[in-house]
Amino acid sequence: MSHDPPPPRGGPSGPPPRPRPGPRRPTPPLAPEEITEITEPVRDVPPRRPRAADHGPAHAVDEAGPRSRGAAGYDPVPAVDEVGRRLRGAVGHDPAVDEAVHRPRGAAGYDPVGEVGPRSRGAADGFDRRPVAEPRGVVAGRAADATQYTNAFSGSLPPPPGPPPGPSPRPRPRPVDPPTEVIEPVHEEYEDEYDDYYDDEDDYEEDDTPPPPPKDSAARKTVRTAGELLITAGLVILLFVVYEVYVTDLISAGKQDDATSALDNRWNANTVEGADPQRQAKYDLIAGQAFAKMYIPVFGPDYKFSVVEGTTDKDLEIGPGHYVDTALPGDPGNFAVAGHRVGKGAPFNDLDLLESCDAIVVETQTHWFVYRMLPKASEVAGWADGAKAKDPRCAKVAPLGGSYEKTVGQEIVLPTQGEVINAVPHFTGTAPEAQQVALMTLTTCHPRFSDKQRLIVHAVLDQGYPKAPGFLPEQLKEQ
Amino acid sequence: MYGWIWRHLPGPLPVRLLAALVLVTGVVALLMFVVFPWVEPKLPFNNVTTTQ
Repeated sequence: MSHDPPPPRGGPSGPPPRPRPGPRRPTPPLAPEEITEITEPVRDVPPRRPRAADHGPAHAVDEAGPRSRGAAGYDPVPAVDEVGRRLRGAVGHDPAVDEAVHRPRGAAGYDPVGEVGPRSRGAADGFDRRPVAEPRGVVAGRAADATQYTNAFSGSLPPPPGPPPGPSPRPRPRPVDPPTEVIEPVHEEYEDEYDDYYDDEDDYEEDDTPPPPPKDSAARKTVRTAGELLITAGLVILLFVVYEVYVTDLISAGKQDDATSALDNRWNANTVEGADPQRQAKYDLIAGQAFAKMYIPVFGPDYKFSVVEGTTDKDLEIGPGHYVDTALPGDPGNFAVAGHRVGKGAPFNDLDLLESCDAIVVETQTHWFVYRMLPKASEVAGWADGAKAKDPRCAKVAPLGGSYEKTVGQEIVLPTQGEVINAVPHFTGTAPEAQQVALMTLTTCHPRFSDKQRLIVHAVLDQGYPKAPGFLPEQLKEQ
Repeated sequence: MYGWIWRHLPGPLPVRLLAALVLVTGVVALLMFVVFPWVEPKLPFNNVTTTQ
């Protein structure tokens, strides 16, 4: 099995030295014993081959030919293996193989499939490449393996023409071993490593839960906790916004409903039979209790709030609150009401959208009072010529002169300007009650979500109706 | 912090989830009904009245 230089034959490209029919070995290097072996198989083989391989495969064919052909009659692969093995083993690597390998394919030396094929391929292919290490004798036990191996190869080959594998039991085993040896170890090692790697990780993950990883340093913990606290703070602030804008609405709605039903009960229980002028001006003014209802028709038919007495935070949670000590609905003076603009029912959320001459209807136990918003500062100058001045509904709406000069429909003031709810707004002197106009003033915060300023709306009394069963002021239907 | 809490919740996962949910609900309720109403008047954005 040593590499002997190819015998006299030709180089790879060299022409086949001699005719093949002679199955016999031209190779000198063979050891005597080997020769014997080879010859044996050869015997079995019918001398079919010479022809097929004619020119090309020459040496390989010649040498292996007889035998392999015989054996391989059936199928390229096993036969080839056998042949190869035998060649290798017996012939010891010889020229035949080398040549077969090196020889250009075109030369017909290599025709895997064809008649020549089995043999030549065997010789060319696997065998010379494989380590020849093993002593030839080992073989027998592995014959089966060899078969499998070769079959795998043969899968891609055309069906073998010939009869089942030839006789020679012996030669087979050899070629098989080397490949298995080579491949298996590598594969196994790889798998082992792979498995170990993953096993490690699995173990790590599993351990993760029970024993906390020791890697957390104090600094890391501190930073993480600080981050969590900051995130928490952000969430809390968001939650506060939700509370302020939505939750307080729900809470206030409940309180408003309670106040309204309480007011209705009182009104119904206290019904005045007929019109008693003496009781007309009487209200039960108890802090935190509703005493009137207000409607702003342009905000929709469902805009309705019960007005409570007092302007503390607690009062304003229930609904719009009446500034204590300001005038009562319908009375000369200034009926001033404060209301939230954001949250807590937000009764005055859209107060900035109110236009001059829009109606604000107040219902008391005994009367309906219709107020209308005064002209805005920008409208005062041209009010007389404006369209609204000609609207019969706005007949009583006009810039108020005299001491009311500064009193316009809408204004924005500082929180400290309490004079806007004076009986005569912005008027510091004393005005006799007889000269006072019946005003209504609404205050809320401005801008929205801020308390830097106050939005003020002034309205003037337009109509007053005594309540009667089934009567509703037509102004309630204004949209 | 949250990791610490989670590790100290007893029981299997569903129980832990339930406990966590209860904790969160409790904290939110505490904020909504106690802390926020208390802190809100102190904040400068919902004063609607004018002072004389």
